[in-house]
Amino acid sequence: MAKTYDYLFKLLLIGDSGVGKTSILFRFSEDAFNISFISTIGIDFKIRTIDLDGKKVKLQIWDTAGQERFRTITTAYYRGSMGIMLVYDVTNEKSFENIKNWIRNIEENASADVEKMILGNKCDLDAKRQVSKERGEQLAIEYQIKFVETSAKDSLNVEYAFYTLARDIKAKMEKKQEASNPPGARSGAHQLRANEQQRKPTSWLSRCSVL
Amino acid sequence: MNYQSKANKYVCPNDRQLSLRAKLRTGWSTARSEPPLTATEREAIAAVVKRAEKVDEVEARRVGRIVARLEGMRRSAQGPAPRSCLLCGETSRLLAPLRTCSICRNTACPKCVIEMPPHRSPIYSREQYMCNLCAETREMWKKSGAWFYKSLPKYILPERKATRRYNDTELARSLQDAGNSSNEGKTDSEPGSPLSVHAPTFSRQPSNTDSRKSIVSSHDTHHDWNETDILSHGVSGLSLHRTESLNQRSVAGLKRTGSKGSAYSIRSIRKEISKPLTQPERPTTIPDAGFGTLEIKLAYDNGTSSLAVTVLRARGLIGMDMTGLSDPFCRLEILPREGTYSNRLRTKTVHKTKNPEFNETLHFFGITESDLAAKSLEIVLFDDDRYGCDEMGSATVSLRDCAKSPIQLRLALSGATGTEPTGPRVLLALCYSTKKRALVVTICRAAELPPRDSNGYSDPFVKLHLDPDPYHKKHKTSIKWRNLNPIWNEEFLFETRPTELSRQNLTLTFWDKDYGKPNDFLGSLVLGASSKGRRLKHWMDCIKFPDHRHEQWHSLTDTQHL
Repeated sequence: MAKTYDYLFKLLLIGDSGVGKTSILFRFSEDAFNISFISTIGIDFKIRTIDLDGKKVKLQIWDTAGQERFRTITTAYYRGSMGIMLVYDVTNEKSFENIKNWIRNIEENASADVEKMILGNKCDLDAKRQVSKERGEQLAIEYQIKFVETSAKDSLNVEYAFYTLARDIKAKMEKKQEASNPPGARSGAHQLRANEQQRKPTSWLSRCSVL
Repeated sequence: MNYQSKANKYVCPNDRQLSLRAKLRTGWSTARSEPPLTATEREAIAAVVKRAEKVDEVEARRVGRIVARLEGMRRSAQGPAPRSCLLCGETSRLLAPLRTCSICRNTACPKCVIEMPPHRSPIYSREQYMCNLCAETREMWKKSGAWFYKSLPKYILPERKATRRYNDTELARSLQDAGNSSNEGKTDSEPGSPLSVHAPTFSRQPSNTDSRKSIVSSHDTHHDWNETDILSHGVSGLSLHRTESLNQRSVAGLKRTGSKGSAYSIRSIRKEISKPLTQPERPTTIPDAGFGTLEIKLAYDNGTSSLAVTVLRARGLIGMDMTGLSDPFCRLEILPREGTYSNRLRTKTVHKTKNPEFNETLHFFGITESDLAAKSLEIVLFDDDRYGCDEMGSATVSLRDCAKSPIQLRLALSGATGTEPTGPRVLLALCYSTKKRALVVTICRAAELPPRDSNGYSDPFVKLHLDPDPYHKKHKTSIKWRNLNPIWNEEFLFETRPTELSRQNLTLTFWDKDYGKPNDFLGSLVLGASSKGRRLKHWMDCIKFPDHRHEQWHSLTDTQHL
């Protein structure tokens, strides 16, 4: 049997073309960096299993092409993903502005309770910087999304970003589980009645034992 | 780009300007024509998709193992009784008092219970317990990803269980392994007999002895399992066991409704246990691997430039209905299409079988020799159903090979590609609440409803009822005015028992509200044990895993059945 794992989380990287989505993923999955630019064709994915609080979590990370012409293919993968990373390039103003469009894109196509995170990539290139860290933080606060500046080249915050997103998804999962029981707790009237019905069959013996 | 240089840009442009703009092919109004994907790009993407499918299969098997484990636990559980443990049947003792599971409200002994993490609010300061069964269900919900997708993702039950419960997966695989060993004459020619499905496969495995052994051995264990299963129903009528017995009973129910030859009552099962080959099909949730094979013959006629496609037969198709049978038909199409003109042909439907003999020749006309080199034939198998057609598998053949001489091919079908329905559809959440003893139906939203009013919109609302329902409860959602993609998120309760549920059908009808004239019909949906494919899976998931919300999209049909 292949390696076992406890959970499978599907993550997705989106952002403009050339911001370094593939590099981030390459750094995370292979711990390597390639200086040359090869445009992603449509979609690709990499897998890495990480350990979160003693649970093996298999991350299937989808890397999408930023180019417009692949949009129909890439949007098809929004729905299945549990976490989405929005990547922009700190040396490219336009890619930062487009984050808003990407978020709108998520709202239209992805599942409603998807976890999001904004990454400002290429933060090692301080000389060419066009987007300050504060602006990135401001945007993140505006949308209430976590934010971190990364560098795939210097391996800065890449691990941290993926671990944070995976941990957020796991936390959401635990929370959901607690909330799902009792199901449909919204309708209070029904709940009350149901509880009363339930109390009857439990015998006095079992109730006594609780005391 | 000075087309609006003279014009005020805040004034609506005139027709000439608009047509000029359209020629420029910029702006939001023009559909951008992107360069189509090149062959290498398409190949690269296909390779990735294939890789992803492998990952999905691993995942489906893993989820299958979890599901099987839980089902095993349920089967061995003793059932709720007032003074004994739900799981092990231990009675209450002084030193080991029984605990009450705070989820299913059943009693269980301290060994079969775990302590719940303390609740945040002080109101629930008392210790809370959860029985192992509920804990396991919870764990399954987390591990399978169902917590996110709001319904169980597709899963493949582990080998042994799979062959025990339904042999389709194994059958299809063994068929593919068997390759081109001839199977004429041995196969069941009469549709409608579920029994004969097993028979030919066992005798038709020259190469793969290993899998053959596994089938045979599992076949032997088949009977006693059935017996214990049935016996346990007789002894304890508990809700968890019921979910298992449901299947059986509704099979019996089916018989009553007159589906010929495909169903067996419980009594007859017990009688037939001694005869190995008269096993009834175990009802299925839809298996996901092994979609069977299809045999076709292609012949091209130069003179009339026509292509004759003879669909001979299919083998080992997936089962779609409760009895594990299907009503398959093939839809054939030459791809890529030319313009908007669609050239689709379909075969007749063969009812109640997984091994249909179509023996039907269909002709495509106007196919040139150059077409043969470039085009391919797509065959999609559908399950014919009154309430919409479900895809059962598909195959694509390039036409290049049949240019010279007629060829006969055996194709392995691959899985349904578009699982998400399109067109008029509804997102529906089902949850059987054991606390309320009721089925909670949530109409979340609908999409792409047909417009019925002159303004290009509809004013949709939904009527829903269970059938048969002793309480004769009928519900209605609110009306969403002028909306083709309404969001309701409204919840409705139907008081019923889980045993009843397998005999009941939930009927949803969508209407367009009109004043002064009768409401217009928009579409309908029927869910129940007698429905098929996705709808059946949704219904069975809801029965099998109570107290969880199962959300799923369903397409609407325009047949009105009241």
